[in-house]
Amino acid sequence: MAEMDPQHTKWVMVIDLDRCNGCGACVTACAMENNVAFTGEEENAYGRGMHWLRIVRYWVGEWPNVQVRFMPMLCQQCSNAPCEPVCPVFATMHSEAQELNIQVYNRCIGTRYCANNCPYIARTFNWFDYEWPEPLNFHLNPDVTVRRRGIMEKCTFCIQRIRAAEEEARMEGRPVRDGEVQPACAQACPTEAIVFGNWQDPNSKVRELAESQRGFRFLEELGTEPKVIYLSSQKHEF
Amino acid sequence: MSQEQRLTRRDVLKLAGLGGAVAAVLSGCGPTAKYVRRQPYYDMPEYARPGASVYFATTCRECPAGCGLVVRTVEGRAIKIEGNPNHPVNKGATCARGQAALETLYNPDRAKGPTRQGKPITWDEAITALADLLQNTPPESMAFLLGLAPDHLAELVYEITQALGAPPPLRVGALAFMEARNTLAGAAERVFGTKALPTFDIADADLVLSFGANFMETWLSPVYYGKAYGAMRRGRPGRRGILVHFEPRMSMTAANADLWLPIKPGTEGLVAQALGYLVAEAMGREPGEGLFQVDPAQIAQQAEVSLEKLEKVARYIANEAEKVVAIPGGVALGQSNGFAIAQAVLSLNALFQELGKETGVFFTPPVNGEAPLAPATLADIQDLIGRMQAGKVKVLFVHGVNPVYEFPPSWGFAEALKKVGTVVSFASFVDETAAQAHLHLPDHTFLESWGYQRVQVGADRETLSAFQPVVVPVFDTKATADVLLAAVQQVGGALAEAVPYKNEVEFIQKKVAALRERTDGIYAHPHPQVFWNLFLQHGGWWTEQSQKELARGSVLNVQVGEADFDQGDLYLVVFPHPILAEGASANNPWLQETPDPTTTVMWNTWVEVHPETAARLGLQNDDVVEIASPYGAIQAVVYVYPGIRPDTLAVPMGQGHTALGRWARGRGANPLALLGPEANGASDPAFARVRVRVRRLGTRRQLARKENVVGVYGDGRYEPVEAKAESGMKE
Amino acid sequence: MQATSSQVRKAVITVVVLSVLGVLLVAAVGLYRSQQTPPQPLPFNHQVHVQKVGLSCLYCHSNANKGQSAGMPTTQRCIACHQQIEPTTEGERILRQYAENEESIPWVPVAIMPDFVYFSHQVHVNANISCEQCHGEVGQSTIAPSLTKKQNMGWCLACHQNQPQERVARLTSCEACHK
Repeated sequence: MAEMDPQHTKWVMVIDLDRCNGCGACVTACAMENNVAFTGEEENAYGRGMHWLRIVRYWVGEWPNVQVRFMPMLCQQCSNAPCEPVCPVFATMHSEAQELNIQVYNRCIGTRYCANNCPYIARTFNWFDYEWPEPLNFHLNPDVTVRRRGIMEKCTFCIQRIRAAEEEARMEGRPVRDGEVQPACAQACPTEAIVFGNWQDPNSKVRELAESQRGFRFLEELGTEPKVIYLSSQKHEF
Repeated sequence: MSQEQRLTRRDVLKLAGLGGAVAAVLSGCGPTAKYVRRQPYYDMPEYARPGASVYFATTCRECPAGCGLVVRTVEGRAIKIEGNPNHPVNKGATCARGQAALETLYNPDRAKGPTRQGKPITWDEAITALADLLQNTPPESMAFLLGLAPDHLAELVYEITQALGAPPPLRVGALAFMEARNTLAGAAERVFGTKALPTFDIADADLVLSFGANFMETWLSPVYYGKAYGAMRRGRPGRRGILVHFEPRMSMTAANADLWLPIKPGTEGLVAQALGYLVAEAMGREPGEGLFQVDPAQIAQQAEVSLEKLEKVARYIANEAEKVVAIPGGVALGQSNGFAIAQAVLSLNALFQELGKETGVFFTPPVNGEAPLAPATLADIQDLIGRMQAGKVKVLFVHGVNPVYEFPPSWGFAEALKKVGTVVSFASFVDETAAQAHLHLPDHTFLESWGYQRVQVGADRETLSAFQPVVVPVFDTKATADVLLAAVQQVGGALAEAVPYKNEVEFIQKKVAALRERTDGIYAHPHPQVFWNLFLQHGGWWTEQSQKELARGSVLNVQVGEADFDQGDLYLVVFPHPILAEGASANNPWLQETPDPTTTVMWNTWVEVHPETAARLGLQNDDVVEIASPYGAIQAVVYVYPGIRPDTLAVPMGQGHTALGRWARGRGANPLALLGPEANGASDPAFARVRVRVRRLGTRRQLARKENVVGVYGDGRYEPVEAKAESGMKE
Repeated sequence: MQATSSQVRKAVITVVVLSVLGVLLVAAVGLYRSQQTPPQPLPFNHQVHVQKVGLSCLYCHSNANKGQSAGMPTTQRCIACHQQIEPTTEGERILRQYAENEESIPWVPVAIMPDFVYFSHQVHVNANISCEQCHGEVGQSTIAPSLTKKQNMGWCLACHQNQPQERVARLTSCEACHK
């Protein structure tokens, strides 16, 4: 096995659209893990839902041969991220060590420039302070900051889980194993459509899957170099 | 480690985590209500460390499927629900509803303690009142209504009713009858000789024919089917299974199909037989040779489906596919001839076997041969309602189901309930039924409960899935089994002798005792306490080896005939909401906030209308319409839906609560109000036979949808209601 | 009667000066109060326990080398020794009370990380960083101390940057500490 660079990890996600059935388990799992606020009907109608992960539904074709395609959409953790250079206060940062786009909540002043520049519409903004009426707040994850009004947020690839796995591996004096880090969405997914891993590890499941001829990156022609790799669904034609 | 010690430790957790949890600003960064203050322990349990996670295995009870869970807790609070990777049903995965179950546990609108006529009482008073009812009511005028979960409570109540001489409990629920469980089990008995819910083994199928079965959303065991579907698609190198789906509306399952054929409602059985005929013909069999006696061309015309497409599917089955599975379910079984349809589709599996194909129908073996109590038939329910109406039911006990909401109003349950002397509800929430109860003795939610569930679908082996409390009770609730047993002991005498359990845990331990004899489980231990600890640690008991045996069936030449329909303009498909299902958890805000997969609608009830139909009726998106059947009327908001037949409307269940809590109440409509009391041939409701008229009310109400309004710069606009809708709709 | 422009100017200046003073006063009071030791449920003396009895920090804050949080002592941990000791001080009497009531002691932590910061004691303790390096000489204080070291981000980074070259990139990346 090739030696992995201990300074850098490159986390990638592979989403097999042929497996994905659009059930929404990942959407809810993400919200429950990451203390994502619910905003209610009216706010959602304004487009102020806080979903870090949503399932985009495309209609294809005309009645009666109409078909549906589902595509889970989340922060693509671009290597060349359009959100980063526009932040005036360096709250939207690129981590050299983990190769992730990170959001530093205490720096964010809510200009929303980053969201404006994101072609994947992956960022959500706290227009208000959203509450978890007691005792609903009991289930908030202590490993994830509870965001307040005026702050931009987005998918972190469950950085708290990455950190926990790395710490555990370090205490045991070994590298992080493939499959040890699972974001909440991948863990919940009933169809095993979402696979997560380290690109630096040549034997990882993500490397194997990414070699598929079905693989593509969404809007890669923009030069964003996303780290989410989709595998296209190829329906059988009758 | 004894049971008592375990409970005391949980009490310690209570002191440490929950009892002392006070909202406090710790960092000055954010509203106070978001923070929970941490407090040191009085005495730390040896399995806990400050700030470290402790995981408990338990079982999900959001639906009756019995998926295994592992719940992450930190200092006495439940933080995250994860799937149990070793569990035979869900193998580590969960659905949206399971994920949001923490909001059932920590819901601020839960019942906070026992009440009589809405006024708080103590548990001692509650148990005395219950004992009084058990002692002084003639047994034949008692009735128990239970949900499909948990099984241990149903078995305990069954023992109590037997000891009392009362009628056995009826297990009911909207999800159960929308899944037509009795129909499916009855048809399986006729075709495969086993009266149980069949599991369809699609994981290594080459082609799956689904006749209305919404198996990826809520049907029977959605996480099992999700796992199997993923494996079918991409689990085997070089072989990709294909899904062909027949349903008048594009459900989420239909949306994943390679070919979706929106056949005319009620023709599902005929199409199955035509397909069987065509496959046999393509494989060189002479017509009439043990085949369905049908005319495919005529059926194709009747079902308004292209014969050419059916022939292509048949040729694919004949020439390419080795393993073919046909699944009846969902709306197909709710037709007036649903029982015949179920038999016709299951027979298709038998026909494929005869033609030399592999099929995949198996039955989850019951643990030690003990099958759970089957759900009640429509006839049973109607008989009970009749007795209630006649004043013959003096005391009605309700647990795990919300019949005022879950039974179609045309069945007359709500009126009959008023004739019952005493209604005792054990609901964890003040739901529609509990609001009318005389005594409300709230049970714990499942994350605070002991118990077990017998897995009926999805597991390839005997599986008894265990519940254990992962946190101490949040409110002053009490386990229903403990409450009943305390009342039984208070009554004493012959009843207490016949039901000799000290408490719920002792009952469960006695029930699982027989498993200690088994050597083929994932663990074995002769000592009761060690075995019990292993049982809890693993989240239940199941066998080490798969016991999967594919069933062999015989082809029934059942006369499917034509389905009957009520008077009306348009067919109506009422379906369990893919996320909320029947709506028992509609007060979980993140379930409301999770978009429906195909429409992306959140927080409300929509009605799916084909674009042509919408144009003909002058309807646009967000128009409020009244939908009326011979049995009732509801109001819903139009969603112009490209994936539905022009002669059909579809409305999801799950909303339209008048109680339950702040996020559920007064939101959307309950389409069960449109359904009638007819049965489908196997005494499940024929919910698809209703036809409706639709009328534009002239008001508009914007649906919150995820599509088009994503992101902070989406074109999100909110149109408030122009004029107040007439009734039922929330502003 | 109309006020002259100089009167208006005077009034405005007075208001501005007073409000600035008011803001400064509030800030000063806030700053002063934030530097005071918070009231504790019982007057615990670190000096006696560390210097006279010779307990190590880990005896009471036993999770510091095992997890994120160092942890406060449980009532049982205190009373294990103190049940052998005749209560003479106010603190010991209060401790007995908690133990008799089987209650946890609501210690008020003084070194609190903000909600948006991730900090693990385990990692630091296992990197051979002594407790005193961050917490100061707590063992010499006679009352529960306030923070003797100023713990801000620059102070964290000063140490993180001063590490072996191959580890600096990871240790100075935002997500190493911000959650």
